Amino acid sequence: MTFALLVCLGGLKLGFGTFQQPHAGFMPFLSGLLLGLLALADLISGLTGQWKTEAMGKNIWAEISWMKLGLTVAVLFVYTAFFTTVGFFIGTILLLLFLFRAMEPMPWWKIFTASIITTVLFYLGFKVGLDSQLPQGWIGF
Amino acid sequence: MDLINYLMMGFSVALQPMNLFYCFLGVLIGTLVGVLPGLGPVAAMSLLLPATFHTTPVASIIMLSGIYYGAMYGGSTTSILVNIPGEAASVMTCLDGYQMARQGRAGPALGISAFGSFIAGTVGILGLMLIAPPLVDFALKFGPPEYFSLMVLGLMVLTFLTSASMVRALMMAAFGLIVGTIGLDNISGLARFTFNIPELLDGVGLVPVVMGLFGISEVLLNIELKIKQEVFTTKVKGLLPTLEDWARSIWAILRGTVVGFFLGILPGGGAVIASFVSYAIEKRVSRHPEDFGKGAIEGVAAPESANNSAAQGAFIPLLTLGIPSNVVMAMLLGALIIHGVTPGPLLLSQHPELFWGVVASMYIGNAMLLALNLPLIGMWVQLLKVPYSILFPVIILFCLIGSYSIANSATDVAIMLIFGVIGYLMKKLSFEAAPMVLAFVLGPMLETALRQALIKSRGSFSIFFTRPISAVCLIIAIALMVIPLLPWFRRRRPGAALEQEETI
Repeated sequence: MTFALLVCLGGLKLGFGTFQQPHAGFMPFLSGLLLGLLALADLISGLTGQWKTEAMGKNIWAEISWMKLGLTVAVLFVYTAFFTTVGFFIGTILLLLFLFRAMEPMPWWKIFTASIITTVLFYLGFKVGLDSQLPQGWIGF
Repeated sequence: MDLINYLMMGFSVALQPMNLFYCFLGVLIGTLVGVLPGLGPVAAMSLLLPATFHTTPVASIIMLSGIYYGAMYGGSTTSILVNIPGEAASVMTCLDGYQMARQGRAGPALGISAFGSFIAGTVGILGLMLIAPPLVDFALKFGPPEYFSLMVLGLMVLTFLTSASMVRALMMAAFGLIVGTIGLDNISGLARFTFNIPELLDGVGLVPVVMGLFGISEVLLNIELKIKQEVFTTKVKGLLPTLEDWARSIWAILRGTVVGFFLGILPGGGAVIASFVSYAIEKRVSRHPEDFGKGAIEGVAAPESANNSAAQGAFIPLLTLGIPSNVVMAMLLGALIIHGVTPGPLLLSQHPELFWGVVASMYIGNAMLLALNLPLIGMWVQLLKVPYSILFPVIILFCLIGSYSIANSATDVAIMLIFGVIGYLMKKLSFEAAPMVLAFVLGPMLETALRQALIKSRGSFSIFFTRPISAVCLIIAIALMVIPLLPWFRRRRPGAALEQEETI
């Protein structure tokens, strides 16, 4: 509901206009208003217990490996922030080392081999095959 | 006579070596993503969209279409052999397909699935060919009010059918509309919600959003779920169904074809809904409903036929009205626009080679799929043995590099990751992604139509109810919104039925 309110305020700031001459904020305001009303309806139905699914009966946040999940998301963001600087090769090999290790504990030699082979195959597929512009970074290709 | 001439022209386009190659590539990739869990046709199409920039529009659409209907074929393999649907439209196939495999009848299950898909796909193309041209004349009567109302109807149908909670599905549609407003306003040119990020001036890209919601989020879910990878070990033999199998399946295939085709045309419909509805119908008309879920071959034939004919039917609103009826069609809309082709009523007259070339390529693609899915089934089974610990990092990398390569922008990658996290949370909290994506795609068109209609009517909303086509669409949309509020209807609503079936 907070998000919906912010969108409505953003819409008003952009200018709602009139129904005869709708301005840029017209659609964002109406969409935000709709979202807010629906969120309120969902909250009420949740509190009054009108809508229940099997999923609501159990704790959906239980048995989650937060460390693994959080670390994976964090590493993906770090890769996004730096792979244009460090380049496709180094950045991707480092990312894959982490991902392969995080998915299932394997011997390091296997992880290294899989990471390098995957990176080279992606380079060949995207750079050579599809002519995509992959960041060169420190090693220059 | 004209129809045959146009079809001949279509075949002359589709049989050109380059187009034939792209058709094969499309159905091959489609089967591959259908077989592999975690990467559906939407993510695959968004991934390969940049790769089609160098080709002709016809080749591009032929390949992307091939991925879509190819995935419908391939999705059944994992459902039958592993009890994990390769993509959402094959969820129902798990129920009886896997039971058949456990009883040593994996071969006939895969066989009837491939033959049913072929029959339904071919009939679906015939329907597309016959219905699309007359619909174009009708579509020329559409103005902003009709377009607005039809898009509202599409969103309402999707929210009505796909989720157990219609309020939550509508919330997602509203969220999609908001995301769709990011960027420059189409009419005034004012920047909206761009936060001084230049990359956002063009709006949020469809590919990063789709890859995040459907690709990254799926992998994040699987990281926590620790899926036990189990492949059916018995050798698959006897792919040809027996006469008894045919006798039990043929009507299921035909019913599934008809139901699937019309649900495919419906704005907001599509292959997933078609497979659920056809399974429910088959169970209801069967003399032995107690066999369903225990290895009834009709339970494989009907949903597999329905999802294939729906895949063909879904092309009709896109190619005649320019309105995508589902997320996959939204991807095709994006591809057409990138290639400078405007989908809509004029597409058939301005680009007949594209329309008929794509139609003809579907016949060829269906024949290719039959060859790929029956004799080569062993190869697809081997592919299922790729460990998830290898597969999931590769999917993540595909999404990262794919979203970067569209505009060489790290912002797009960051957007994809943000939507990956949003998609993960949505799945955990039982919010549907499909209404969000469809609203996101339709949002800018819907806004323009709404504002143009209001300017035209000088602010009067009566314009939407005084024009017959618009009024009919809006009345149906309102009915779909009001009916679920009636207590007696709550248990009968299709969305609720889907939720129940999914928990089986």
